[in-house]
Amino acid sequence: MIEVEALTKRYGSTTAVDGLTFTARPGTVTGFLGPNGAGKSTTMRVVVGLERPTSGTATVAGRRYADLPAPLHAVGVMLDARSVHPGRTAYKHLLAMAQTHGIGKARVREVLAQTGLEPAANRRAGTFSLGMGQRLGIAGALLGDPATLILDEPVNGLDPDGVLWVRHLVRELAAEGRTVLLSSHLMHELALCADRVVIIGRGRLLADATVQEIVARSERAGAVRVRTTDPEALARELLTAGADVTPQDGGVLQVHGASVDDVGTAARRCGVTVLELGAESGSLEDAYLQLTGDSVEYRTADTLGRTR
Amino acid sequence: MSAATTVPGAARALATARSGPTFARLLAAEWTKLTSLRSPWWVAAVTVLVTGAITYLSAQASSVDSGFQPVDSLSTGLVLGQVGPLVLGVLVGAGEFRTGAFRTTFTLAPRRLPVLAAQVLALTAFALALAVAATAACVVGIWPPAASRGIAVDLTGGDAPGLMLGMVAFGVGLALFGLALGALVRRTVPAMLTGLFAVLILPIVLMMVSDPMVGADPASTGLVDGAVPTTVPGTLMAFSPGGAAQLMTIPASYGPIDGAPDLGPVGGGLVLLAWIVVLLAAAAVRLHARDVR
Amino acid sequence: MTAAVMGRPGSTGLRVLRAEWTKLTSVRSNVWIALGTVAVAAGTAYGLGLFVRPGDGRSGSWVVTSGFVLAQLGFLVLGVLVGTSEHTTGTARTTYTTVPRRLPVLAAQVQVTLLAALTTASVALGASYLATGGVRAVDAPALDLSVPGAARALLGFVLASAAVALLGVGLGALLRHPASALVAGVLLVLVGDHLLAMNPGRTTDTIRAFLPSSGARLLQDDAALAGLDAVTRGPQLGVWGGGVVLLVWVVVLLAAAAYRLSRHDVR
Repeated sequence: MIEVEALTKRYGSTTAVDGLTFTARPGTVTGFLGPNGAGKSTTMRVVVGLERPTSGTATVAGRRYADLPAPLHAVGVMLDARSVHPGRTAYKHLLAMAQTHGIGKARVREVLAQTGLEPAANRRAGTFSLGMGQRLGIAGALLGDPATLILDEPVNGLDPDGVLWVRHLVRELAAEGRTVLLSSHLMHELALCADRVVIIGRGRLLADATVQEIVARSERAGAVRVRTTDPEALARELLTAGADVTPQDGGVLQVHGASVDDVGTAARRCGVTVLELGAESGSLEDAYLQLTGDSVEYRTADTLGRTR
Repeated sequence: MSAATTVPGAARALATARSGPTFARLLAAEWTKLTSLRSPWWVAAVTVLVTGAITYLSAQASSVDSGFQPVDSLSTGLVLGQVGPLVLGVLVGAGEFRTGAFRTTFTLAPRRLPVLAAQVLALTAFALALAVAATAACVVGIWPPAASRGIAVDLTGGDAPGLMLGMVAFGVGLALFGLALGALVRRTVPAMLTGLFAVLILPIVLMMVSDPMVGADPASTGLVDGAVPTTVPGTLMAFSPGGAAQLMTIPASYGPIDGAPDLGPVGGGLVLLAWIVVLLAAAAVRLHARDVR
Repeated sequence: MTAAVMGRPGSTGLRVLRAEWTKLTSVRSNVWIALGTVAVAAGTAYGLGLFVRPGDGRSGSWVVTSGFVLAQLGFLVLGVLVGTSEHTTGTARTTYTTVPRRLPVLAAQVQVTLLAALTTASVALGASYLATGGVRAVDAPALDLSVPGAARALLGFVLASAAVALLGVGLGALLRHPASALVAGVLLVLVGDHLLAMNPGRTTDTIRAFLPSSGARLLQDDAALAGLDAVTRGPQLGVWGGGVVLLVWVVVLLAAAAYRLSRHDVR
């Protein structure tokens, strides 16, 4: 259980996290989403005690992280692939971690096997690819068999095989009753493995709900997409019937406030040929882009055009 | 690897009584960290070799003098050899911050300060072994020149035991001085530069001030034979980290450096210790009170 | 590749040079190092000047240029940072994919460092002269350019500073780790000479003569040089010998760095 309560973190005049409140519960995978610079990593660093909050609190299992008697057993943390000395082998890195909590070598071998790093155990971490570094980070997080896991961008740089493995791993960890908080930029990935999603922008909470609830908020959710030979005629017909119509490229109309049946009937009424007709389903990505539209710090002009 | 992986550890009850980072455990972890890198071993090997070799060459060069005393040459190799422990200390102190490994370290031990203490202790042990090996190399280095003159080296009497003890303390002290600088500054290059300046370069500058120029009239410089008054550069020298450390490698019977207060080897060691304690305290305050990022 | 380069002027020498100048001046620490070097040169000259007494053999040019003993560290650090910057920050990948032949980059780094070092050294010399005005009014000798070799000593300050900076570039580009390049540089330009001087003899004096630290002879006027040559048991380097030794070191190190850069992988 991770509880973040009215958390604020300022660096001089910039506010990285601004009154953030959310809870990650046991038995669920909580996805942590936000644009670059939204404050995700800062929040995670405050939760694990590397930084102190300016105000507010962050607790794990009801305690401040620094007050945990055995942090490695309570929380498995993977913050940044660059949290390893490049000159140290994977095995020695994990061994030094294990020694701080009196964990034996057998467990180190176990997590190396579990993360597929056994063949690379005696290679220096500096020679690792990005994906292998991620696996080493996850191995460190699993080492203490913790009830809570905090993973910052765990699938970053992993091959498709590795992405699939992480997805299964976090689902399984949650199924065992553990709390999993993971951040990711890969919306599709989060939609597949997270139960709840916490979305922040510019340090503030934008949404905290189940994946289904958030998807349902998407603009496209419940809309009908229709492609015809004469979009103007159909649009007029639909508008008089009281629906909202948004014209799109290639003779496509996006219709709100009418069912697929309504649109089909209207097309027949005005005599246009229907080339394509179907209900649109919202996606987490759409919902996310709408929510964070105003709070993106760095954005390409292209994305700007596409989201509006 | 297979996509579906089970969690072997999960079966072990989450409730098993499991304890956290005790000091002994942190010490074991810091020892593993120190000895699992290649650089400490390289630094140690080069230090021992260079120290022994320079001592040998210097003793060999002095052995032609009529009043050659092998023990007097014992610590000559340390003048260059001191770079080794200093560099080692800076690498250990700043290494975690330079590489980002500190994030792992301080999430495992969120109270932080015991980690610094464990680092100090682990480095002390390593540097002690290094300093003993370097001192042994110096002893080996004076042997052939002494033998060539038919002089028996007596390490049990006179200045020798105290000098060897001082040489070991010198090595350990400089390593800890480097560690304290590294932990305070957190960046390798500035910490290294500060260390080299304080230990090697400052004494040279102070010597530039007090030594007469080549060809100068000795009478005019005040550096004539007899009692030399304590001077500002001499005092700065004795209380600088490098100058104080050097006092430990000068046989007690030599008396003070010209113009410097007579601290003796023990006094020099205490001055260096004071520097280490002050810098470590500053590093501890920074570590405890501020965020680590 | 050759065809493409010839068809469209891509990375010409001048453009590479301009790119390197931008890199040097846009890193704030480099500017601070340059300013710090000036301050250290002037401050050291003033501090050492306080202890100069009439008749102790120190000339007016010695007082003005005495800050070199510490200021050369600033030049060394500047050079080392330029030489290693590509390799420590990972910009090597960007730089060497833009300029795949690589060597023009090293050449540009050398020129940029040379320019920056000459400028910094000139400013440092001026600052040292102004800073030592106070001590000249007391006991220190006045700067008299009619003293044989005095003017050369002032020029030597600038030349030796620039050479030490280039030595830093060479060491940095060769060793690629700032810490090791820095330790090697400090030993070569300052500490090695000092250690050897503690054991004067034919061997040690010969080694001293061929260390880069011999370049500091450029800062001595004729009388001081004659004094040094009179006591050495090694080779007598004369007026320009020390400068030549330093220059040879710079050239050899840069050549070794160029060899490593062109023959070995950049990671």
